[in-house]
Amino acid sequence: MSSNLLNKRLARSLWGTKLRLVAVIGMIFVGVFAGITFGGYAANLEPMYDSIYDDSENGANLADIWVDNQSGIWTPEQVNAFCSGVRNAWPSDAAALDSCEGRMILKGNLFHTNDTGNHLIPSIWHGIPENADIDRNWFPEGHSEGRTAVGAEEVVMDAHVTDALGMSIGDRIEIGVGNGSFEFDIVGIAYHPLHIYIAPEGSLFPPLPGEYGIGYLSDLGMARMTGNEIGSSNNLMLDVEGTPSFDLPNTDEDEGDEIDGVKAIVSDSMEANSLDGRIRDRGQNDAVEFMRQDLDGAKKMATPFTVMIQAIAAITIALSLQRLVQSQAREIAILRTLGVPRTSLMTGYLLAPLAIGAFGCGLGVLAGPYGMNGMLDFYEELVGLPIIERSIPLELYGSVIGLTMFIVFVSGVFPAWKATRMEPLDVLGGHTDLRVGSNLLRTLTGWMPTRLGLSIRSSLRKPIRLSMTFLAVGISLMLAGSIQMMTVGLTDTIVGGLEEGQTWDFQVYTQPGGEEAIIEWAEERDAIHEAIIELPFGILQDSSGVDRTFTLIALQGYAEGQSMRNVEIISGDAPVQTSGPLQVMMDEGSLDMAGWAVGDTRTVDVAGTSTEIQITGSVRGEVARTMFFLQSDLSSIIGIEATAIYLQIPEGVEVDDSLANISTTIQDRQVLIEGITSLLEQQTQVLSTIMGLGILFTLAVMFNTMVMNIAERDFELATLRVLGASTAGLGSMLLFESVLIGLVGGLVGVLFAFGGAIGLAASFSTWQFYFPVVLVPSVAYQLMTIVLVIAIAMVPIGIWRLRNMDLVEKVKDLSQ
Amino acid sequence: MIGTLVRWYDTMALLTMTGMKRHYETPAGTVRALDGIDLEIEEGERVILLGPSGSGKTTLLNCLSALDSPTDGEYIFQEKNVPRNHSEKMTSFRRDNIGYVFQFFNLLQDLTVMENILLIQELAGKKDTQRAEELLDLVGLGSEKGRFPGEISGGQQQRVAIARSIAKKPTLLLGDELTGNLDTETSQKVMEVLVEACAKENITAVFVTHDEALIQYATRVIRIDSGRIISDEQHDKSRPTELSEPTQDV
Repeated sequence: MSSNLLNKRLARSLWGTKLRLVAVIGMIFVGVFAGITFGGYAANLEPMYDSIYDDSENGANLADIWVDNQSGIWTPEQVNAFCSGVRNAWPSDAAALDSCEGRMILKGNLFHTNDTGNHLIPSIWHGIPENADIDRNWFPEGHSEGRTAVGAEEVVMDAHVTDALGMSIGDRIEIGVGNGSFEFDIVGIAYHPLHIYIAPEGSLFPPLPGEYGIGYLSDLGMARMTGNEIGSSNNLMLDVEGTPSFDLPNTDEDEGDEIDGVKAIVSDSMEANSLDGRIRDRGQNDAVEFMRQDLDGAKKMATPFTVMIQAIAAITIALSLQRLVQSQAREIAILRTLGVPRTSLMTGYLLAPLAIGAFGCGLGVLAGPYGMNGMLDFYEELVGLPIIERSIPLELYGSVIGLTMFIVFVSGVFPAWKATRMEPLDVLGGHTDLRVGSNLLRTLTGWMPTRLGLSIRSSLRKPIRLSMTFLAVGISLMLAGSIQMMTVGLTDTIVGGLEEGQTWDFQVYTQPGGEEAIIEWAEERDAIHEAIIELPFGILQDSSGVDRTFTLIALQGYAEGQSMRNVEIISGDAPVQTSGPLQVMMDEGSLDMAGWAVGDTRTVDVAGTSTEIQITGSVRGEVARTMFFLQSDLSSIIGIEATAIYLQIPEGVEVDDSLANISTTIQDRQVLIEGITSLLEQQTQVLSTIMGLGILFTLAVMFNTMVMNIAERDFELATLRVLGASTAGLGSMLLFESVLIGLVGGLVGVLFAFGGAIGLAASFSTWQFYFPVVLVPSVAYQLMTIVLVIAIAMVPIGIWRLRNMDLVEKVKDLSQ
Repeated sequence: MIGTLVRWYDTMALLTMTGMKRHYETPAGTVRALDGIDLEIEEGERVILLGPSGSGKTTLLNCLSALDSPTDGEYIFQEKNVPRNHSEKMTSFRRDNIGYVFQFFNLLQDLTVMENILLIQELAGKKDTQRAEELLDLVGLGSEKGRFPGEISGGQQQRVAIARSIAKKPTLLLGDELTGNLDTETSQKVMEVLVEACAKENITAVFVTHDEALIQYATRVIRIDSGRIISDEQHDKSRPTELSEPTQDV
């Protein structure tokens, strides 16, 4: 018999299992679709970042080093002396130092009036000199307007905020940074490389549109608003030719050899000029690092997603083909008896998955670009940044299709081998049907009603297939549940802590020494107040010897009622004042990633002062790496009483311009929560899609298993039907089996999802962004219920098959 | 009525088939698998149906067991019409009245010998462990009750199948080539067990076979060809029953 005829025979047999065929092609399609979508998404984000950061006329020239001094201001002379020091010390054999500049960046308030009244909007303002070379505004063609701010009354507003605030060029706005309010004319609408994602520093979560303002004044404008000399700065920034390598916080290696040399020169120059500040490279600047890690995450996700989906498809293909081989045993035996060689048979079984794979790949390739554009559109909406050029590299198509076809091909090898290993005599002589039941199962289930015992024994009859089914269900639920588990865990700890654990209404930020005026404002209005310190000025050396920055937070105390900010201590105790090393607590992420533990005594840099600390407790609920002090302890080290005041205001009292004029920024807790909730809702949309996909796969896998189970048991079900077993009786057996498989599958799924969540969290967690994984019972129950419901939903299919069984034909089969 | 057999002894009729037809429509035309069967079986009879391949004997067995619905004709079982064209009612009829023995035994491989019998009782709502044990003793397999079908011989498996088929006390026991898969010696043993069991349990039996040697175990032998009964004789009387209509090809 020619190979063509054999392959035609196999194709027709496969066509007889159309539903399963469609499910398998669907899975392959989704795998390729997801691979192209995620891969294309990542491939298009990278050039976008490159074009923003580029040191060219069109780019914004992102700095390589930032030095910030939030506790004071450097004079223009200090800035010049620092930059001269750096230039003089610059090694001749190193990449050239392109620029060294000072910049003033301040938190402030935007006094905004619209239809709903007057609003105080927390904001941040940059003073960018006209001839600035580093960290300029980015004016992408077609997505920006106007020009840079030059005059003392000009401002460029960030394109993220203008729509929500209804601003356009020519409008006049009123702003302040704790030194009264000033009016500026909007002359441009543009972007900035440090505000691609508009979450305020120290937060992962962007406020709701219109609840946060970002603007770029000229140096003249900044001087007018602050009352300082032109050129006064609280930030220094350096740009080196090219991009010196910097340490990537999400890797164990220290890649920062090149930038470390620059940082050493910067540090020396600062010391020589008696300047005090925090030195950060790109990996330590959260605004930049967050976007790099987002891109890195997108790249990392593409391959595992494709592999996971294709693995499910491969398992389904392998199981289906194996079942096909089994059902065609007699046919294969006859062909072998007629002299058809093994290789001819094998070819068909190897070609079948390739043909199925090619069809699925074709569909995936057609739909992939739509998925990628959807992701990029979503990204544009989330981040608010235009992605102008979009294309899918040919290599991406090649790698996704190549990977898919390889996985699919491998899935066909075992069934093909199995088909060719069949011995005609064994099959035709009926020897393959003979098997002996398991004594272990008999012992375990002998006490049960016989039909339940039979259900369990039948379910476990093919342990490898059952294991593969559970593996596929596990992978499906890993897809569906791991991100959900991670996000719900994160939401529970972060949002839950902010909603329930904190009692302040407003956090009013102040310049050093400005807290008295705010406290006075509060006392005049019977508002409860608490002075706190929150400074991103801590540096520690982790167990690998890498310098890590962290935030210093100091509260009045950590017992209940001592502070408006409740801290969840998960191990150890709150710090107390002692004569020994300073007692502090650290967030669990810091301890985990630094390799430290409660009880350790360490030396850290606290705002430039080397300090010995003793860790007394571990705290949950902080996204940023944080060390918690007693307010009096930290104050004695840094010489600042407060950087912000928590206010709990009585009913009827409102924050007003008088408070805005004496503070830098006013943060409304409710607005913060709404911003986080809004972001999580957006994320939920993506999660729902991924979860839906996982559930769809679970459905397909369970359906495939159930259909095969029933098809394979036609023999025994028909026997029982002929002997008078009712549909209801047999249906109850199928139901029990389904519940059993559903429960075990659900449990396996939860374990996989939890394992996946731990893996994802480990993969995403970095020094800056730590994701705690907490097994949330509701998510676990939800996943188990989904599998159980899917399994039970398969029972009617079995009953339908039983009802429609042609017993006359079956009796013929049973008698042959 | 045409074709009605002359009864040799006066016992109560367990079942009566009158003008029974089973026709199949195929692309090649109508196949008349049964083409007007008139049959009456008395309680306690052991009937053997003989005939060449395609003669309609298995179709007749399927109709007797309500696995198949006749195209035409009447089928009365214990003075009641047997349900047709309704799967659940037909199943219920089988559950209450019919026992079935297959050629290939069809025991459930995952259940022990004893459990195979208990399952049928359980599904019929008549679980009775003591009776199951008695039946295994009856077929000579009391000592094998804890073994799996794959661990015993073919003849033993068929004896388990017989015990299983009578476990729920059926009125009518049917068998299709039930010794077709056994050697002569084993066949004889199985048939002896079957005859003994039927006698003890007062079960009427109808068996389809090609094997003329099995006639010795029957009280009545019916020969079929082309969907019609061509002879019907009591085994202890060698005179064949005369038929009034000629045989037609199927």
